[in-house]
Amino acid sequence: MFKPESADSLPIPASAATPSLIDGPELPVDVEVALESLNQWQLAVKRFMRHRMALIGLAMFCFIVLVAIIGPIVAPYNPIDIPGAIHQGGDGPSFTHPMGTDDAGRDVYTMVVNGAHISLAVGFFATVIAGIIGIIVGSISGAAGGVVDNLLMRLVDVTFAVPLLFLILVAAVFFGQGSMVALILIFGILQWGLIARLVRAQFLSLREADFVEAARAVGVGTMRITFRHILPNALGPVIVVMTLLMASNIVLEAFVSFLNFGIAATEPTWGNALSNAQNAMGDGNWWWAFFPGMAIALTVISINFVGDGLHDALDPRARL
Amino acid sequence: MTKYIIRRLLQAIPVIFLISIVCFVLMLMAPGGPQAQFNQNRFIKPEQVDLWLQHWCLVRNPSPPDMIKEYAGWLGVWNCQTQSFISENGGLNFLPSFLGGGVNGMLHGDWGISIYLNQPVLDIILGRLPVTLLLMVTAWIIWLTLALILGVVAAIRRYSFFDQAATLFSYTFYSLPTFWLGLMLIEIFAVTLHWFPSQLIQSPRISPGPFASAVWWQAFWTDPGLYGWDVAMHLVLPVTTLVAVSVAGDSRFVRSAMLESLNQDYVRTARAKGLSERRVIFRHAFRNALLPIITNGALEVAFLFSGAIVTETIFSLQGMGYLYIQGLQAHDYFLLMGIVFIGAILVVVFNLVADVLYAVADPRIRYD
Amino acid sequence: MSTVIDLSHVAEAAPGRSIGQKPPDDVLLDVRGLKTYFHVLDGTVPAVDGVDFQIKRGETLGLVGESGCGKSVTSLTIMRLIDIPPGEIAAGEIWFDGVDILSLSPSEMRDIRGSEMSMIFQEPMTSLNPVFTVGYQIAEAVKAHRNVSKNSARDRAIEMLAAVGIPSPERRFKQYPHELSGGMRQRVMIAMALSCDPKLIIADEPTTALDVTIQAQILELMKSIQERTGTALLLITHDLAVVAETVERIAVMYAGRIVEAGTAEEVLLDPKHPYTQGLIASIPSTVPRGQRLNVIKGTVPNPFRMPTGCRFEPRCPHAFGPCKDFDPPLRLTGPNRESACWLQYPPGELPVKETDAPPATPVPVERVGH
Repeated sequence: MFKPESADSLPIPASAATPSLIDGPELPVDVEVALESLNQWQLAVKRFMRHRMALIGLAMFCFIVLVAIIGPIVAPYNPIDIPGAIHQGGDGPSFTHPMGTDDAGRDVYTMVVNGAHISLAVGFFATVIAGIIGIIVGSISGAAGGVVDNLLMRLVDVTFAVPLLFLILVAAVFFGQGSMVALILIFGILQWGLIARLVRAQFLSLREADFVEAARAVGVGTMRITFRHILPNALGPVIVVMTLLMASNIVLEAFVSFLNFGIAATEPTWGNALSNAQNAMGDGNWWWAFFPGMAIALTVISINFVGDGLHDALDPRARL
Repeated sequence: MTKYIIRRLLQAIPVIFLISIVCFVLMLMAPGGPQAQFNQNRFIKPEQVDLWLQHWCLVRNPSPPDMIKEYAGWLGVWNCQTQSFISENGGLNFLPSFLGGGVNGMLHGDWGISIYLNQPVLDIILGRLPVTLLLMVTAWIIWLTLALILGVVAAIRRYSFFDQAATLFSYTFYSLPTFWLGLMLIEIFAVTLHWFPSQLIQSPRISPGPFASAVWWQAFWTDPGLYGWDVAMHLVLPVTTLVAVSVAGDSRFVRSAMLESLNQDYVRTARAKGLSERRVIFRHAFRNALLPIITNGALEVAFLFSGAIVTETIFSLQGMGYLYIQGLQAHDYFLLMGIVFIGAILVVVFNLVADVLYAVADPRIRYD
Repeated sequence: MSTVIDLSHVAEAAPGRSIGQKPPDDVLLDVRGLKTYFHVLDGTVPAVDGVDFQIKRGETLGLVGESGCGKSVTSLTIMRLIDIPPGEIAAGEIWFDGVDILSLSPSEMRDIRGSEMSMIFQEPMTSLNPVFTVGYQIAEAVKAHRNVSKNSARDRAIEMLAAVGIPSPERRFKQYPHELSGGMRQRVMIAMALSCDPKLIIADEPTTALDVTIQAQILELMKSIQERTGTALLLITHDLAVVAETVERIAVMYAGRIVEAGTAEEVLLDPKHPYTQGLIASIPSTVPRGQRLNVIKGTVPNPFRMPTGCRFEPRCPHAFGPCKDFDPPLRLTGPNRESACWLQYPPGELPVKETDAPPATPVPVERVGH
């Protein structure tokens, strides 16, 4: 019976699809995998470059990072300066103070620029910690299975048993003590469960994937399958989720600091600026809360755009 | 099904148990011990601190066995008065009191006394629950309705102006920090425009008593319009804050669930049968898109609970979220444990509700 | 020789099928010059690019071709189930029962769909809605087209379930798709397609997803139903063995075109087009034991870079003079026998490329920019 081929997406006749399996020259498995994964990443880059929103997001994010790095150097005032007049409510935006001043005479623009690196650092490092722990635990759980998997996943269940904010706040209040490093550790240690679950799920589904079966069939070892075949393929969705987690960590840091449970009030962070602003709400000094909040919102929007582009680029099947 | 529900509830017990341990130990392990909060205050003498610790059955710089004892005391296995597992009644402490057990701890329905408010934790929580429930339920209903409408319309009119506008809206609002949005809404609608109140759940001027207390209900029935309207006005900004961010994410979710469903073969079959477009979309596609939406909607109750912390803090609503923040500021172990406990139960129950609803909606799922 | 190509043979190839003219009454379905394009991110895919064929009342036609040659898109276009956009019916006419259905309003088309012409899909696993009982889904089709009560729609559904050989139809009526096997589900699909006594049934790879033993049963069922009810059948498949057993006439499709048509015996025993010859030569049973299977060399053309001449030219073992630059139209080579190959044209009718003039094709391939 003639069946030209079964895969709709590959318009290649049967003769071309399986040459090496019959009598063709044997290709070393590694060469093929390397070529294929290179193509996969190149394709992802190509798809990402075509995603207009993602590019805008990336440009915005780069700009924010730039501000975080060189902003404090070129800013007209230091965070400890008191360039404005000290009076109730502060001053609105003006030529000398484009984002106004607070009631202590501090420049809001200086606060926003100096807060950038703290917010970005907390968001980035907390996510990296969560990512590393999550990928390790998820891989172990997915590759080992059985009792190990069961125990690790029950541990993850525990972190999901209450809304995470509750635990994070407890940890921040009792352990944070106003330290940025402590806050990063708390966010990272409490949030890896999400990523571990995702990595594990990827492992379970990839374990049954055709290319893994094929690798197993030609005698590739378990370790090699795990690290060369499954993990690289599982990373796509993980990177997407980590991007979104970074955005949410930036908001979280701001909120925790806003409640005065986060980074010491003396540090110029966006959350602390908002916290000060809240005390003065009602005096009509909107600029005080508006600009630090906008800074958070723009950072988060830019990261979410990038995340969306990565999602489309790394997981084309899920594209809608 | 009943068997399944019972099994799931039994499975949840160790998880709730573990999370309460984690939370309790986390608080006790804090550097400086329970007395650390008094370190700054030089008017408090060490003897007073000791008395305070003794009163709350806490230990200065607790060691791991101390922590286990304290946790066991909170749970009701350990008896702080007798300093043993035996109760004042002579039996093992964890037994019900009529069998000689103690009366302290969660096992005996005693949630402890709030350090900060000096009242039974359960009473405080029950007093604050109505505000939180009102806020959550109102927000949940509005948010699900809006998300369904926006998501379905965006999916049907994919790539239309409406879809693109909805996309832009959801990206923007999804990225806004909830608490900042709340602050801005207060600035605009309360401070500048004076349209809505920015604080509390009811106006102190006309308040007959705490919201949903017996006194309040009495007054409410004498003039439902006045008191109902007052509460409704106070809810506008908090609910808007909570809804805006959530709708943004969820309308995207509904849209993609709907698009996923519209892409399925059975939708093509339905069209091939010559069914009307309305029937194809709402009977065949929507019915299937509902499955993930139901799960998502039920699971987000937990998210809503954290949202309540944020909004209640911004709008000074005397609910559980606000209480939690107050408890944190006062290092009120027992109050915090009580609220975390409620949160854990809420999560367990709504996870279960999600699964059960899914089974009801999808004939392929059978829990036996 | 001039580059002005005599197009008389094109008219000859399609007698009485001039554009806009109603086909004779005995012709149930007449597809003329049908082009369905898809506008995707990378450009325009001409999935169906000038397809012509006819089905007479009560006739069975097999549309054969490789995956991706456009046969499924042809069937979905006839049902008007193409998503527009990204799809577009760029040209052509589809006369069904004396009406050009491309001119019908969506609601008029809905009345025909499922009632006058119905369709059976490839994947019985996913083509039924998982959340409704199979009986409900059949009765729904009946209710959509017949003004009947709920009970009589139900009776009709049970009757149809019995007609497609499903045992204890009353019980099956209340079952959900996941409770049935693949073969049973395809029977349900057939019952659904038959429920309104259609004049035409389009079956798109109805047996591909099934086990071999079940395949034979389903084909047998479709054949017997076709004989009993006298509906016309358009059977779409990549499997020559399936059409050999089931249909009277065969049309072979390649890269969005019909390349050969005729009765089943003629096409299978005396293929005129090199592509059909290649297909038949690659059937294992036609090749002596121990010898390697013949395969058609090369790959299907990239839809974004279709050859300007004959689409099969790059892979054709017999390619000669005109093939590279001119696209051969279908030519009548016998009664009801057509082939699109320059080999079938007398040498005098072959077009010749003028070296200094841009190549002209008898049937220019329209390129839609994007």
